Amino acid sequence: MVKLLIPILILALAIGITIVGDDSALPGKNGGADFVFINRGDVSTLDLQKMSWSQDLRIGRALFEGLVGLDIFSHEYNVKPGVASRWEISDDKRTYTFHLRADAKWSNGEPVKAGDFVYSWRRMLLPDTGCDYIAMAQIIEGAKEFTTWREQRLGEFGKPGGENDARALWAETEKKFAEMVLLTAVDDRTLRFTLARPTPYFLELLAFASFYPVYPAQVKQYEVLDDSSGRLNTKSGWTKGGVLISNGPYMLTGWRFKRDMTFEKNPHYWAKERLGFDRMLMLSVEDVNAQVLAFRSGTVHWLSDVAAPYRAEILNQKREFYREHQVEYDRMVAEGLDPAEIDRRLPSDPRNRIGAYSAFGTYFYSFNCQPKLKDGRDNPFVDKRVRRAFAMAVDKRRIVDQVRRLGERPVSVLVPPGSIAGYRSPDGLPYDPERARRELAAAGYPGGKGLPTIEILFTKDGGHDLIAQTIKKDWEEHLGVSVELAMKEIKVFRNDVRGQNYMVSRGSWFGDFGDPATFLDLSRKDDGNNDRKYASAEFEDLMNRSDNEQDPAKRFELLHQAEKLIMEEDMPILPMFQYVEMQMFDPHVLTGVSSHPRQIENIQDFDILGDGKGPDVPKMLPVRPAGRGNAKNAKRAKKDKRRLQKTNQSVVCGVSPISSPCLPSSPSRSSRSMVFAQARSPRTSP
Amino acid sequence: MITLIVRRLAQFPLILLAIYTLTVVLAWAIPGNPLEKPEGRQPPAEVKQAMLRQYNLDRFDRFYFSYLDSALGVRYVRESISGEAARRAASAKSSGLAPPQRYVFDLGPSLQYEDWRVNEIVGAALPVSITLGLCAVAIALVIGVFAGVIGAVKPNSFADLLTLAVALIGISLPSFVIGTTLVLVFPVWLGVGALGGWGQLNQLVLPAITLSLPFAAYIARLTRMGMLENLKADYIRTARAKGVGEASVLLKHALKNAFLPVLSYLGPACAMAMTGSFVVEKVFSVPGMGQHFVNGVLNKDLFLIMGVVLIFATMLVAFNLAVDVLYTWVDPRIES
Repeated sequence: MVKLLIPILILALAIGITIVGDDSALPGKNGGADFVFINRGDVSTLDLQKMSWSQDLRIGRALFEGLVGLDIFSHEYNVKPGVASRWEISDDKRTYTFHLRADAKWSNGEPVKAGDFVYSWRRMLLPDTGCDYIAMAQIIEGAKEFTTWREQRLGEFGKPGGENDARALWAETEKKFAEMVLLTAVDDRTLRFTLARPTPYFLELLAFASFYPVYPAQVKQYEVLDDSSGRLNTKSGWTKGGVLISNGPYMLTGWRFKRDMTFEKNPHYWAKERLGFDRMLMLSVEDVNAQVLAFRSGTVHWLSDVAAPYRAEILNQKREFYREHQVEYDRMVAEGLDPAEIDRRLPSDPRNRIGAYSAFGTYFYSFNCQPKLKDGRDNPFVDKRVRRAFAMAVDKRRIVDQVRRLGERPVSVLVPPGSIAGYRSPDGLPYDPERARRELAAAGYPGGKGLPTIEILFTKDGGHDLIAQTIKKDWEEHLGVSVELAMKEIKVFRNDVRGQNYMVSRGSWFGDFGDPATFLDLSRKDDGNNDRKYASAEFEDLMNRSDNEQDPAKRFELLHQAEKLIMEEDMPILPMFQYVEMQMFDPHVLTGVSSHPRQIENIQDFDILGDGKGPDVPKMLPVRPAGRGNAKNAKRAKKDKRRLQKTNQSVVCGVSPISSPCLPSSPSRSSRSMVFAQARSPRTSP
Repeated sequence: MITLIVRRLAQFPLILLAIYTLTVVLAWAIPGNPLEKPEGRQPPAEVKQAMLRQYNLDRFDRFYFSYLDSALGVRYVRESISGEAARRAASAKSSGLAPPQRYVFDLGPSLQYEDWRVNEIVGAALPVSITLGLCAVAIALVIGVFAGVIGAVKPNSFADLLTLAVALIGISLPSFVIGTTLVLVFPVWLGVGALGGWGQLNQLVLPAITLSLPFAAYIARLTRMGMLENLKADYIRTARAKGVGEASVLLKHALKNAFLPVLSYLGPACAMAMTGSFVVEKVFSVPGMGQHFVNGVLNKDLFLIMGVVLIFATMLVAFNLAVDVLYTWVDPRIES
């Protein structure tokens, strides 16, 4: 009998040990954090030069600081000083000289030096690092050549005639970098570099987290020269809580895998008195419903993205709340107040704890522009008349109103209209089934005869199936074609799209910086993201000319023509709607959330009102004086209202507050500089 | 017994190598590039190629052997002997920083969670899964043996039919049904216990019960069968004839032998309960190992897949070995 009890005793002992050994309980409620938030799932990496997800970049901006930052509470997204207190740009607009402030410090108290930037940007340029945004740094003179040189030498490594000593190759690389790339630390507090060509948006690019510095002494500890390939690999480990050394507003004190991250104010940060919190806690909550629950139960102050399937219903409740305060609301909209500020001035109400703002991203469909499909059949979409016909046969309004139901704006152009000050969007193609049929007949397929079955490729999650069904119905009804839906798993989908193994496919794009090029580059012949393999000499010519154009107004005109070409003539991409971003917060408690259509949220700008920490003053975009833009908004709102009354739908609010009425809808607003947006690149569509 | 242990230990590396090879081949065949983000900006081709090469993902043979190299600890030993490790530690010390963490059995970097090594990911999830799994098996033992004995004492009685019914439900109902029902009844309706999460005792109870039910059901049937068989045996009649009390007959004489099949089932049950709890983890938001099995495959995170599979295989083989040893110890007839 005793023998039998032994296994059971072992079991009991094991349970005891594991329970005692698990250190997962939090020390007290929220660990004494002033601010608790959920940052869209989980952070993938804190290595600045490897980041590309918007939630990573957001934490990157809270932990580190670049030469400059962006004033997200200005309509123009003005550049403001960061580590650099001042800078000069040469007359030919190519050479930049930055002067670093003396009190810029790392979280271990060491001063931030110009050499730290050189080291970090070199990391960005090395093909070894694998930086998604390497192209941004390759604007610097000699940078692209340096990357190509290193890649070529690495390719020859170990082969006859090539280098086979990793250390020797690295020494040569360091020398080459100094020779080739026009980037130098003149002294510890002066950084100078020269661009290959004048780039009007380069200053704003420097506010992008990939250009922020890492602490060289620390990262070097983790760099390993691989003897078999000659590459410089960076091992993970230096980005952990209590280990990572950063130069930004906050520092990382803890990071538990898929549980939480904790932050503390960086005691050496030069502007620490501006910060709203002493301690912050970020919770990892993956389930989209649990995220909303965590906000509603008061566990978190801010939920960065609402992805719950019932978010359209949450928005409807907010619209209902607006209707109850219609007079006040209309007055404040007419005044041109920031939507977040409007919410703060309205009475406190649980229905009003969601912000929904137009984002810098477009949902679209791609047409395969190759003459042959992957299976050898002729591709009808090689003919731009066919592409135009299919584009004009889609009722985008219905997709937005009846399928998405998030108050998004249907668009006929790729660059979100009105998001870039000074840039004029073309008209694009309208919804016109009659004209679509004529185009199709002209292409040799009258009434859809002669066309093969059209296949729409999409992924299963995220409601793409509903959109595809609506489009299928439109095309079958208006064009007389037969349409098949091909739903694939995301990896297979990715492979198919990359390899042009499709006819029509869903897609989306979020801008990285406030220039039309961030969207238009997608259609350049050699761009790595040109999944359509669209190639047009005319388009290339316009884009090349815009690259070399010095006058910003003329440059925008060239870009306008380029967009007009792809959106009215060639139609490789069929834009559907402009995304809306949703976040949950109580406007009476939290301030610092930006409603600007670039949708950069800076945690370091957040503040809890009335807690005695930080400035405790509501932050908002300045009031826009009454003018054309507002009049146009009011008109649009009225039109929306009439249309809704006619169609008797309750899904879109009568005054469409969700499409940010006080944000620029016309690009006519003057601006001092071009404005830039954060990358939201690789991301699954909401 | 010694020969048994030695023989099984000798098989151990061969089994693991076979599992490793099979898994690498299958994981390699998953479509897609694990380093490619599903959407958005793609780095230039040369950068992509460089990243693939960095992780040896451009050549199957290179990946196969380099992974073995680090996972088996060969690389660790090599770096220690060559002085590479000591040099790094010294250079870290000279700049006042902590030296990089090293692992003897390095399961590689995670491709999906770039800042984490598989060792760290498994290190965070394994204690959770072990606690949950062991608790579930303990609960299953208590419920199962109790129900089995009752069923055997009065076969075809109401109590027997009731335990049979519960066992049937336990085996046939999927855990997401049981789990969500428990969540609905206890935290939501009655306000007892936690909705989900991990770290407190009340967060452990519901997932452990959910996870235990199929095991409990199986153990109950095993116990009942064994008990019924043994109660008919001659030695029980002898014991009764000698005037041994009924409780002693049941627990001391019959159960002792009836428990043997349960004991042999405990090995795989422990391993299953510790690693195969994906659904339960999902329902109760428990940060355990199960999610990594599924996510690893979905993201084609090769290192993570290999890491969790190797850990699971090691556990399975080790538990089976432990049970076999216990088995022969409890019942010396087995070995011969």
